[in-house]
Amino acid sequence: MRLILIDSLRENRSNFYPLVLGRPIWELRCGMNSLEDKLVAKIDPDETAYFVPDYMGSYYRTQVAKPVNDVTTLAGDDLLLVDPSVKAADFDPALARGQAPPAEAGVAARGPSEIGVNEQGQVLYARITEEDVGGLTAGSIEKFVASAKASLPNVKCRLSTWDYTWDLVLANCQEITTEFAALGQSGIEGDVEEPLAIRGSKKDVYVAPGAKVHPMVTLDAEHGPIYIDEGTEIHPFSRVEGPCYIGKNSLLLGAKCREGNSIGDVCKVGGEVEESIIHGHSNKYHDGFLGHSYVGEWVNLGAFTTNSDLKNDYSSVSVMLDGRRSIDTGSTKVGSLIGDHVKTSIGTLLNTGSYVGAMALIMATGKPLPKHIPSFGWFIEGIVTKGFGKGRLYETAKTAMSRRGRQWTQQAEEMWDAVFEITSPVRKAAIKKGRRRLSM
Amino acid sequence: MATVEERIRAITTKKLGVEDMKLEDSFTADLGAESVDSIELVAMFEEEFGIEMDEDAALAVETVGDAITFIRKVCKEQGVETEE
Repeated sequence: MRLILIDSLRENRSNFYPLVLGRPIWELRCGMNSLEDKLVAKIDPDETAYFVPDYMGSYYRTQVAKPVNDVTTLAGDDLLLVDPSVKAADFDPALARGQAPPAEAGVAARGPSEIGVNEQGQVLYARITEEDVGGLTAGSIEKFVASAKASLPNVKCRLSTWDYTWDLVLANCQEITTEFAALGQSGIEGDVEEPLAIRGSKKDVYVAPGAKVHPMVTLDAEHGPIYIDEGTEIHPFSRVEGPCYIGKNSLLLGAKCREGNSIGDVCKVGGEVEESIIHGHSNKYHDGFLGHSYVGEWVNLGAFTTNSDLKNDYSSVSVMLDGRRSIDTGSTKVGSLIGDHVKTSIGTLLNTGSYVGAMALIMATGKPLPKHIPSFGWFIEGIVTKGFGKGRLYETAKTAMSRRGRQWTQQAEEMWDAVFEITSPVRKAAIKKGRRRLSM
Repeated sequence: MATVEERIRAITTKKLGVEDMKLEDSFTADLGAESVDSIELVAMFEEEFGIEMDEDAALAVETVGDAITFIRKVCKEQGVETEE
Protein backbone atom coordinates (compact mmCIF):
# COMPACT_ATOMS: atom_id res chain seq x y z
CA MET A 1 0.00 0.00 0.00
CA ARG A 2 1.25 3.45 -0.87
CA LEU A 3 0.66 6.34 1.49
CA ILE A 4 0.02 9.62 -0.33
CA LEU A 5 0.39 12.68 1.86
CA ILE A 6 -1.40 15.68 0.39
CA ASP A 7 -0.82 19.26 1.42
CA SER A 8 -1.96 20.90 -1.77
CA LEU A 9 -5.74 20.73 -1.37
CA ARG A 10 -6.35 22.48 1.92
CA GLU A 11 -7.89 25.91 1.76
CA ASN A 12 -6.85 26.63 5.32
CA ARG A 13 -3.18 25.69 5.36
CA SER A 14 -2.70 29.29 6.50
CA ASN A 15 -3.85 28.00 9.91
CA PHE A 16 -0.29 26.72 10.18
CA TYR A 17 1.43 29.87 8.92
CA PRO A 18 4.14 31.00 9.21
CA LEU A 19 5.61 27.53 9.82
CA VAL A 20 4.27 25.92 6.63
CA LEU A 21 5.23 28.72 4.27
CA GLY A 22 8.42 26.82 3.52
CA ARG A 23 7.47 23.22 4.32
CA PRO A 24 4.48 20.87 4.05
CA ILE A 25 2.30 20.39 7.11
CA TRP A 26 3.61 16.87 7.78
CA GLU A 27 7.08 18.29 8.45
CA LEU A 28 5.73 20.03 11.55
CA ARG A 29 6.94 18.45 14.74
CA CYS A 30 5.25 17.41 17.95
CA GLY A 31 6.85 15.33 20.66
CA MET A 32 9.87 13.46 19.35
CA ASN A 33 8.76 13.20 15.72
CA SER A 34 7.20 14.93 12.75
CA LEU A 35 3.55 14.46 11.82
CA GLU A 36 4.74 12.31 8.89
CA ASP A 37 6.75 10.08 11.22
CA LYS A 38 3.65 9.55 13.34
CA LEU A 39 1.43 8.72 10.35
CA VAL A 40 3.96 6.34 8.83
CA ALA A 41 4.51 4.60 12.17
CA LYS A 42 0.78 4.05 12.56
CA ILE A 43 -0.17 3.23 8.96
CA ASP A 44 2.91 1.17 8.09
CA PRO A 45 2.82 1.76 4.31
CA ASP A 46 5.09 0.02 1.83
CA GLU A 47 6.04 3.39 0.39
CA THR A 48 5.17 7.07 0.63
CA ALA A 49 4.70 9.87 -1.90
CA TYR A 50 3.99 13.56 -1.45
CA PHE A 51 1.83 16.27 -3.00
CA VAL A 52 2.81 19.76 -1.90
CA PRO A 53 1.74 23.22 -3.13
CA ASP A 54 3.25 23.81 -6.59
CA TYR A 55 5.47 26.66 -5.43
CA MET A 56 7.42 24.44 -3.04
CA GLY A 57 7.59 21.34 -5.26
CA SER A 58 11.06 21.91 -6.74
CA TYR A 59 12.54 22.83 -3.38
CA TYR A 60 10.94 19.89 -1.57
CA ARG A 61 12.38 17.50 -4.14
CA THR A 62 15.82 18.64 -3.00
CA GLN A 63 14.91 17.78 0.60
CA VAL A 64 13.47 14.28 0.25
CA ALA A 65 14.23 11.14 -1.73
CA LYS A 66 10.58 10.13 -2.21
CA PRO A 67 8.36 11.25 -5.13
CA VAL A 68 6.98 14.78 -4.94
CA ASN A 69 3.97 15.96 -7.01
CA ASP A 70 4.35 12.92 -9.24
CA VAL A 71 0.97 11.80 -10.61
CA THR A 72 2.39 8.42 -11.62
CA THR A 73 2.34 7.56 -7.90
CA LEU A 74 -1.47 7.61 -8.14
CA ALA A 75 -1.52 4.20 -9.83
CA GLY A 76 -0.11 0.70 -9.57
CA ASP A 77 -0.90 -0.02 -5.93
CA ASP A 78 -3.55 0.29 -3.24
CA LEU A 79 -3.52 3.90 -2.10
CA LEU A 80 -4.22 5.68 1.13
CA LEU A 81 -4.43 9.42 0.58
CA VAL A 82 -4.23 11.33 3.83
CA ASP A 83 -4.65 14.92 4.87
CA PRO A 84 -1.61 15.45 7.10
CA SER A 85 -3.60 17.33 9.71
CA VAL A 86 -5.37 14.08 10.67
CA LYS A 87 -3.95 12.76 13.91
CA ALA A 88 -2.07 9.50 13.44
CA ALA A 89 -3.73 8.02 16.51
CA ASP A 90 -6.97 7.74 14.52
CA PHE A 91 -5.48 5.15 12.20
CA ASP A 92 -5.82 1.93 14.10
CA PRO A 93 -2.59 -0.05 13.97
CA ALA A 94 -4.53 -3.28 14.38
CA LEU A 95 -6.13 -2.49 11.05
CA ALA A 96 -2.96 -1.66 9.22
CA ARG A 97 -2.52 -5.09 7.70
CA GLY A 98 -6.09 -5.88 6.83
CA GLN A 99 -7.57 -7.36 10.00
CA ALA A 100 -11.32 -7.07 10.40
CA PRO A 101 -12.14 -3.79 12.15
CA PRO A 102 -13.77 -4.05 15.56
CA ALA A 103 -16.70 -1.75 16.31
CA GLU A 104 -15.74 1.86 17.14
CA ALA A 105 -12.25 1.31 15.75
CA GLY A 106 -10.22 3.96 14.02
CA VAL A 107 -9.76 4.18 10.28
CA ALA A 108 -8.45 1.03 8.65
CA ALA A 109 -5.35 1.69 6.60
CA ARG A 110 -6.23 -1.15 4.25
CA GLY A 111 -9.57 -2.35 2.96
CA PRO A 112 -12.22 -1.56 0.38
CA SER A 113 -12.33 1.85 -1.26
CA GLU A 114 -13.73 4.55 0.97
CA ILE A 115 -13.55 8.34 1.09
CA GLY A 116 -13.61 9.89 4.55
CA VAL A 117 -15.02 13.41 4.59
CA ASN A 118 -15.60 15.76 7.48
CA GLU A 119 -18.74 17.80 8.11
CA GLN A 120 -17.50 20.52 5.77
CA GLY A 121 -17.12 17.99 2.97
CA GLN A 122 -13.33 18.13 3.06
CA VAL A 123 -11.59 14.86 2.25
CA LEU A 124 -9.54 13.71 5.26
CA TYR A 125 -8.54 10.37 3.79
CA ALA A 126 -9.20 8.36 0.66
CA ARG A 127 -8.62 4.65 0.71
CA ILE A 128 -8.58 3.39 -2.85
CA THR A 129 -7.91 -0.15 -3.99
CA GLU A 130 -5.66 -0.73 -6.97
CA GLU A 131 -8.66 -2.01 -8.97
CA ASP A 132 -10.60 1.22 -8.36
CA VAL A 133 -7.65 3.49 -9.13
CA GLY A 134 -7.94 2.76 -12.85
CA GLY A 135 -11.40 4.29 -13.08
CA LEU A 136 -10.35 7.66 -11.71
CA THR A 137 -9.13 10.81 -13.42
CA ALA A 138 -5.40 11.05 -12.86
CA GLY A 139 -4.28 14.24 -14.61
CA SER A 140 -3.64 16.06 -11.35
CA ILE A 141 -4.00 15.39 -7.65
CA GLU A 142 -6.93 17.80 -7.50
CA LYS A 143 -8.80 16.00 -10.29
CA PHE A 144 -7.89 12.61 -8.85
CA VAL A 145 -9.30 13.39 -5.41
CA ALA A 146 -12.41 15.05 -6.87
CA SER A 147 -12.98 12.02 -9.07
CA ALA A 148 -12.53 9.62 -6.14
CA LYS A 149 -14.92 11.64 -4.00
CA ALA A 150 -17.52 11.66 -6.76
CA SER A 151 -17.37 7.98 -7.68
CA LEU A 152 -16.40 6.01 -4.56
CA PRO A 153 -18.37 5.50 -1.32
CA ASN A 154 -18.17 8.51 0.99
CA VAL A 155 -18.33 8.13 4.76
CA LYS A 156 -18.81 10.96 7.21
CA CYS A 157 -15.97 10.83 9.71
CA ARG A 158 -14.99 12.75 12.78
CA LEU A 159 -11.29 12.14 12.78
CA SER A 160 -9.43 14.36 15.17
CA THR A 161 -7.15 16.85 13.46
CA TRP A 162 -4.41 19.30 14.25
CA ASP A 163 -6.16 22.57 13.46
CA TYR A 164 -3.58 25.20 14.34
CA THR A 165 0.12 25.30 15.12
CA TRP A 166 -0.53 25.93 18.80
CA ASP A 167 -2.34 22.56 19.00
CA LEU A 168 1.06 20.95 18.50
CA VAL A 169 2.68 23.04 21.21
CA LEU A 170 -0.10 22.29 23.67
CA ALA A 171 0.13 18.54 22.96
CA ASN A 172 3.91 18.39 23.12
CA CYS A 173 4.28 17.12 26.70
CA GLN A 174 1.91 14.23 26.14
CA GLU A 175 3.41 13.32 22.77
CA ILE A 176 6.94 13.17 24.17
CA THR A 177 5.77 10.94 26.99
CA THR A 178 3.86 8.62 24.66
CA GLU A 179 6.65 8.37 22.08
CA PHE A 180 9.36 7.84 24.69
CA ALA A 181 7.38 4.92 26.07
CA ALA A 182 6.77 3.49 22.60
CA LEU A 183 10.47 3.70 21.76
CA GLY A 184 11.36 1.76 24.90
CA GLN A 185 14.89 3.13 25.18
CA SER A 186 16.43 4.22 28.44
CA GLY A 187 19.79 4.38 30.15
CA ILE A 188 23.05 6.23 29.68
CA GLU A 189 24.90 5.34 26.48
CA GLY A 190 26.68 8.67 26.09
CA ASP A 191 29.39 10.31 28.21
CA VAL A 192 28.19 11.63 31.52
CA GLU A 193 30.51 13.46 33.90
CA GLU A 194 29.85 13.48 37.63
CA PRO A 195 28.36 15.05 39.56
CA LEU A 196 25.12 14.50 37.71
CA ALA A 197 21.77 14.67 39.45
CA ILE A 198 18.99 12.53 38.07
CA ARG A 199 15.64 13.11 39.74
CA GLY A 200 12.82 10.63 39.25
CA SER A 201 13.33 7.23 37.72
CA LYS A 202 16.49 6.52 35.73
CA LYS A 203 14.27 4.44 33.45
CA ASP A 204 12.82 7.73 32.23
CA VAL A 205 16.17 9.07 31.01
CA TYR A 206 17.99 8.19 27.81
CA VAL A 207 21.34 9.66 26.85
CA ALA A 208 22.25 8.46 23.34
CA PRO A 209 25.73 7.43 22.21
CA GLY A 210 27.95 10.39 21.45
CA ALA A 211 25.97 12.73 23.70
CA LYS A 212 27.95 14.49 26.44
CA VAL A 213 26.53 15.63 29.74
CA HIS A 214 28.93 17.89 31.59
CA PRO A 215 29.23 18.00 35.40
CA MET A 216 26.69 19.92 37.47
CA VAL A 217 23.71 19.09 35.29
CA THR A 218 20.29 18.13 36.63
CA LEU A 219 18.06 15.79 34.66
CA ASP A 220 14.66 15.93 36.33
CA ALA A 221 12.53 13.07 35.05
CA GLU A 222 10.14 13.10 37.97
CA HIS A 223 7.25 14.35 35.85
CA GLY A 224 8.24 13.00 32.46
CA PRO A 225 10.92 11.32 30.37
CA ILE A 226 14.06 12.94 28.97
CA TYR A 227 15.61 11.88 25.68
CA ILE A 228 19.00 13.38 24.78
CA ASP A 229 19.89 12.37 21.24
CA GLU A 230 23.23 11.58 19.61
CA GLY A 231 26.00 14.14 19.63
CA THR A 232 24.19 16.59 21.88
CA GLU A 233 26.12 18.36 24.61
CA ILE A 234 24.68 19.68 27.86
CA HIS A 235 26.87 22.29 29.52
CA PRO A 236 27.23 22.76 33.29
CA PHE A 237 24.41 24.29 35.32
CA SER A 238 21.76 23.21 32.85
CA ARG A 239 18.55 21.84 34.31
CA VAL A 240 16.45 19.67 32.01
CA GLU A 241 12.91 18.79 33.08
CA GLY A 242 10.94 16.03 31.45
CA PRO A 243 9.06 15.48 29.32
CA CYS A 244 11.80 16.70 27.01
CA TYR A 245 13.36 15.71 23.71
CA ILE A 246 16.66 17.21 22.61
CA GLY A 247 17.60 16.32 19.03
CA LYS A 248 20.96 15.39 17.59
CA ASN A 249 24.07 17.57 17.77
CA SER A 250 22.47 20.31 19.82
CA LEU A 251 23.97 22.32 22.61
CA LEU A 252 22.39 23.41 25.89
CA LEU A 253 24.29 26.22 27.53
CA GLY A 254 23.42 26.49 31.19
CA ALA A 255 19.81 26.33 30.12
CA LYS A 256 16.76 26.23 32.32
CA CYS A 257 15.03 23.73 30.06
CA ARG A 258 11.62 23.42 31.62
CA GLU A 259 9.07 20.69 30.83
CA GLY A 260 7.61 20.00 27.40
CA ASN A 261 10.40 21.06 25.04
CA SER A 262 11.24 19.49 21.71
CA ILE A 263 14.48 20.92 20.46
CA GLY A 264 15.48 20.04 16.91
CA ASP A 265 18.77 18.83 15.60
CA VAL A 266 21.72 21.25 15.61
CA CYS A 267 20.23 23.89 17.90
CA LYS A 268 21.98 26.01 20.51
CA VAL A 269 19.76 26.83 23.44
CA GLY A 270 20.33 28.84 26.58
CA GLY A 271 18.16 30.84 28.97
CA GLU A 272 14.73 29.60 29.99
CA VAL A 273 12.64 27.53 27.60
CA GLU A 274 9.28 25.97 28.43
CA GLU A 275 6.85 23.82 26.42
CA SER A 276 8.26 24.91 23.08
CA ILE A 277 9.07 23.25 19.79
CA ILE A 278 12.20 24.39 17.98
CA HIS A 279 13.14 23.18 14.52
CA GLY A 280 16.67 22.41 13.40
CA HIS A 281 19.54 24.90 13.08
CA SER A 282 17.86 27.51 15.27
CA ASN A 283 19.58 29.32 18.08
CA LYS A 284 18.42 30.83 21.31
CA TYR A 285 21.91 31.01 22.68
CA HIS A 286 21.49 33.57 25.43
CA ASP A 287 19.30 34.42 28.39
CA GLY A 288 15.66 35.29 27.87
CA PHE A 289 12.40 33.34 28.15
CA LEU A 290 10.72 31.32 25.41
CA GLY A 291 7.47 29.65 26.42
CA HIS A 292 4.66 27.79 24.63
CA SER A 293 6.18 28.76 21.32
CA TYR A 294 6.83 27.15 17.96
CA VAL A 295 10.08 28.20 16.28
CA GLY A 296 11.01 27.39 12.68
CA GLU A 297 14.44 26.55 11.31
CA TRP A 298 17.45 28.84 10.87
CA VAL A 299 16.05 31.24 13.45
CA ASN A 300 18.30 33.32 15.66
CA LEU A 301 16.82 34.84 18.79
CA GLY A 302 19.11 37.58 20.08
CA ALA A 303 20.14 37.88 23.72
CA PHE A 304 17.25 38.64 26.07
CA THR A 305 14.63 37.93 23.46
CA THR A 306 11.66 37.11 25.64
CA ASN A 307 8.09 36.16 24.89
CA SER A 308 4.97 36.28 26.99
CA ASP A 309 2.83 33.13 27.04
CA LEU A 310 0.29 34.20 29.63
CA LYS A 311 -1.86 37.31 29.74
CA ASN A 312 -2.03 39.40 32.90
CA ASP A 313 -5.75 38.71 33.26
CA TYR A 314 -5.35 34.95 32.63
CA SER A 315 -7.84 35.09 29.76
CA SER A 316 -7.42 32.93 26.67
CA VAL A 317 -4.81 34.05 24.17
CA SER A 318 -5.70 35.21 20.68
CA VAL A 319 -3.41 35.09 17.65
CA MET A 320 -3.56 37.10 14.42
CA LEU A 321 -2.48 34.78 11.62
CA ASP A 322 -3.40 37.16 8.80
CA GLY A 323 -2.58 40.46 10.48
CA ARG A 324 -6.22 41.47 10.74
CA ARG A 325 -8.45 38.92 12.43
CA SER A 326 -7.82 37.58 15.93
CA ILE A 327 -8.36 33.88 16.51
CA ASP A 328 -9.17 32.81 20.03
CA THR A 329 -6.90 29.85 20.83
CA GLY A 330 -9.06 28.77 23.76
CA SER A 331 -5.89 28.39 25.79
CA THR A 332 -4.48 30.64 28.48
CA LYS A 333 -0.96 29.60 27.50
CA VAL A 334 0.20 30.42 23.98
CA GLY A 335 3.52 32.05 23.22
CA SER A 336 4.91 32.95 19.79
CA LEU A 337 4.81 31.45 16.31
CA ILE A 338 8.16 32.24 14.74
CA GLY A 339 8.79 31.48 11.07
CA ASP A 340 11.92 30.15 9.37
CA HIS A 341 14.96 32.42 9.07
CA VAL A 342 13.63 35.00 11.56
CA LYS A 343 16.29 37.08 13.29
CA THR A 344 15.54 39.06 16.45
CA SER A 345 17.78 41.69 17.98
CA ILE A 346 18.85 41.84 21.59
CA GLY A 347 16.06 42.71 23.97
CA THR A 348 13.18 41.75 21.70
CA LEU A 349 9.91 41.50 23.62
CA LEU A 350 7.21 39.38 22.04
CA ASN A 351 3.64 39.79 23.20
CA THR A 352 1.38 36.88 24.18
CA GLY A 353 0.28 35.02 21.04
CA SER A 354 2.69 36.78 18.70
CA TYR A 355 3.15 35.91 15.04
CA VAL A 356 6.53 36.58 13.48
CA GLY A 357 6.47 35.79 9.78
CA ALA A 358 9.18 33.88 7.95
CA MET A 359 12.32 35.84 7.03
CA ALA A 360 11.25 38.73 9.27
CA LEU A 361 13.99 40.79 10.85
CA ILE A 362 13.38 42.48 14.17
CA MET A 363 15.27 45.43 15.59
CA ALA A 364 13.64 45.91 18.94
CA THR A 365 12.87 49.27 20.48
CA GLY A 366 12.40 48.10 24.04
CA LYS A 367 8.62 47.95 23.80
CA PRO A 368 6.65 44.76 23.18
CA LEU A 369 6.27 44.19 19.44
CA PRO A 370 2.95 44.32 17.61
CA LYS A 371 1.33 40.90 17.69
CA HIS A 372 1.73 40.35 13.96
CA ILE A 373 4.96 40.93 12.07
CA PRO A 374 4.52 39.92 8.41
CA SER A 375 6.90 37.63 6.56
CA PHE A 376 9.88 39.47 5.06
CA GLY A 377 9.03 42.49 7.20
CA TRP A 378 11.84 44.56 8.67
CA PHE A 379 10.64 45.80 12.03
CA ILE A 380 12.64 48.94 12.67
CA GLU A 381 12.02 51.87 15.04
CA GLY A 382 8.65 50.46 16.04
CA ILE A 383 7.19 50.03 12.56
CA VAL A 384 7.18 47.42 9.79
CA THR A 385 9.24 48.60 6.83
CA LYS A 386 10.58 47.20 3.58
CA GLY A 387 14.01 47.53 5.12
CA PHE A 388 16.77 46.53 2.77
CA GLY A 389 14.49 44.12 0.94
CA LYS A 390 14.45 40.38 0.48
CA GLY A 391 17.82 40.28 -1.30
CA ARG A 392 19.59 41.27 1.90
CA LEU A 393 17.55 38.69 3.88
CA TYR A 394 18.62 36.01 1.41
CA GLU A 395 22.26 37.05 1.86
CA THR A 396 21.86 36.65 5.62
CA ALA A 397 20.24 33.24 5.17
CA LYS A 398 23.09 32.16 2.88
CA THR A 399 25.65 33.25 5.47
CA ALA A 400 23.86 31.54 8.35
CA MET A 401 23.55 28.30 6.38
CA SER A 402 27.13 28.28 5.12
CA ARG A 403 28.34 28.58 8.73
CA ARG A 404 26.75 25.15 9.30
CA GLY A 405 27.92 23.66 6.02
CA ARG A 406 24.54 23.99 4.30
CA GLN A 407 23.79 25.59 0.98
CA TRP A 408 21.18 28.12 -0.04
CA THR A 409 19.98 26.75 -3.36
CA GLN A 410 18.31 28.17 -6.44
CA GLN A 411 15.25 26.05 -5.58
CA ALA A 412 15.15 27.54 -2.09
CA GLU A 413 15.33 31.05 -3.50
CA GLU A 414 12.53 30.37 -5.98
CA MET A 415 10.34 28.98 -3.22
CA TRP A 416 10.98 31.96 -0.96
CA ASP A 417 10.34 34.31 -3.90
CA ALA A 418 6.92 32.67 -4.17
CA VAL A 419 6.38 33.04 -0.43
CA PHE A 420 7.32 36.72 -0.78
CA GLU A 421 4.49 37.13 -3.32
CA ILE A 422 1.99 35.07 -1.30
CA THR A 423 2.62 37.16 1.79
CA SER A 424 2.79 40.47 -0.07
CA PRO A 425 -0.74 41.83 0.66
CA VAL A 426 -0.40 41.42 4.42
CA ARG A 427 3.10 42.90 4.38
CA LYS A 428 2.07 45.86 2.23
CA ALA A 429 -0.76 46.70 4.60
CA ALA A 430 1.63 46.63 7.57
CA ILE A 431 4.21 48.76 5.74
CA LYS A 432 1.54 51.29 4.79
CA LYS A 433 0.41 51.51 8.39
CA GLY A 434 4.02 52.02 9.46
CA ARG A 435 4.59 54.78 6.90
CA ARG A 436 1.55 56.65 8.15
CA ARG A 437 2.83 56.48 11.72
CA LEU A 438 6.25 57.66 10.65
CA SER A 439 4.90 60.70 8.84
CA MET A 440 2.62 61.85 11.65
CA MET B 1 1.64 72.57 -3.70
CA ALA B 2 5.38 72.54 -2.99
CA THR B 3 7.82 71.19 -5.54
CA VAL B 4 9.40 67.75 -5.38
CA GLU B 5 12.64 69.31 -4.21
CA GLU B 6 10.94 71.32 -1.44
CA ARG B 7 9.04 68.28 -0.23
CA ILE B 8 12.18 66.13 -0.17
CA ARG B 9 14.09 68.83 1.70
CA ALA B 10 11.26 69.18 4.26
CA ILE B 11 11.16 65.44 4.97
CA THR B 12 14.94 65.19 5.20
CA THR B 13 14.97 68.08 7.67
CA LYS B 14 12.21 66.46 9.72
CA LYS B 15 13.96 63.11 9.85
CA LEU B 16 17.62 64.10 10.11
CA GLY B 17 17.26 67.49 11.78
CA VAL B 18 19.41 69.18 9.13
CA GLU B 19 18.22 72.64 7.97
CA ASP B 20 20.77 73.47 5.27
CA MET B 21 21.59 70.96 2.61
CA LYS B 22 23.09 71.10 -0.85
CA LEU B 23 21.99 68.97 -3.78
CA GLU B 24 25.33 67.20 -3.81
CA ASP B 25 25.17 66.34 -0.09
CA SER B 26 25.29 62.63 0.68
CA PHE B 27 22.58 61.44 3.05
CA THR B 28 25.08 59.30 4.94
CA ALA B 29 28.46 61.08 4.68
CA ASP B 30 27.22 64.70 4.89
CA LEU B 31 23.80 64.61 6.54
CA GLY B 32 24.55 61.88 9.10
CA ALA B 33 21.92 59.33 8.07
CA GLU B 34 22.52 55.88 9.52
CA SER B 35 21.20 52.77 7.80
CA VAL B 36 18.00 52.79 9.85
CA ASP B 37 17.44 56.47 8.96
CA SER B 38 17.75 55.58 5.28
CA ILE B 39 15.03 52.96 5.60
CA GLU B 40 12.78 55.45 7.37
CA LEU B 41 13.47 58.15 4.80
CA VAL B 42 12.41 55.78 2.03
CA ALA B 43 9.19 55.04 3.93
CA MET B 44 8.54 58.76 4.51
CA PHE B 45 9.13 59.62 0.84
CA GLU B 46 6.75 56.86 -0.20
CA GLU B 47 4.07 58.18 2.13
CA GLU B 48 4.63 61.80 1.09
CA PHE B 49 4.38 61.12 -2.64
CA GLY B 50 2.01 58.14 -2.56
CA ILE B 51 4.46 55.96 -4.47
CA GLU B 52 6.08 52.54 -4.12
CA MET B 53 9.85 52.45 -4.52
CA ASP B 54 11.99 49.40 -5.15
CA GLU B 55 14.00 49.19 -1.95
CA ASP B 56 17.29 48.27 -3.61
CA ALA B 57 17.04 51.13 -6.09
CA ALA B 58 15.86 53.61 -3.45
CA LEU B 59 18.61 52.72 -1.00
CA ALA B 60 21.21 53.02 -3.74
CA VAL B 61 20.42 56.74 -3.99
CA GLU B 62 23.26 58.67 -2.37
CA THR B 63 22.65 62.41 -2.60
CA VAL B 64 19.77 64.82 -2.17
CA GLY B 65 19.95 65.67 -5.86
CA ASP B 66 19.85 61.98 -6.81
CA ALA B 67 16.80 61.53 -4.58
CA ILE B 68 14.98 64.35 -6.35
CA THR B 69 15.76 62.84 -9.76
CA PHE B 70 14.84 59.34 -8.63
CA ILE B 71 11.54 60.33 -7.03
CA ARG B 72 10.53 62.45 -10.04
CA LYS B 73 11.14 59.40 -12.21
CA VAL B 74 9.14 57.06 -9.96
CA CYS B 75 6.27 59.57 -9.73
CA LYS B 76 6.17 59.79 -13.50
CA GLU B 77 6.26 55.99 -13.91
CA GLN B 78 3.46 55.53 -11.38
CA GLY B 79 1.32 58.37 -12.74
CA VAL B 80 1.64 60.60 -9.69
CA GLU B 81 1.39 64.30 -10.53
CA THR B 82 3.94 66.66 -8.95
CA GLU B 83 4.80 70.37 -9.01
CA GLU B 84 8.13 71.40 -10.53
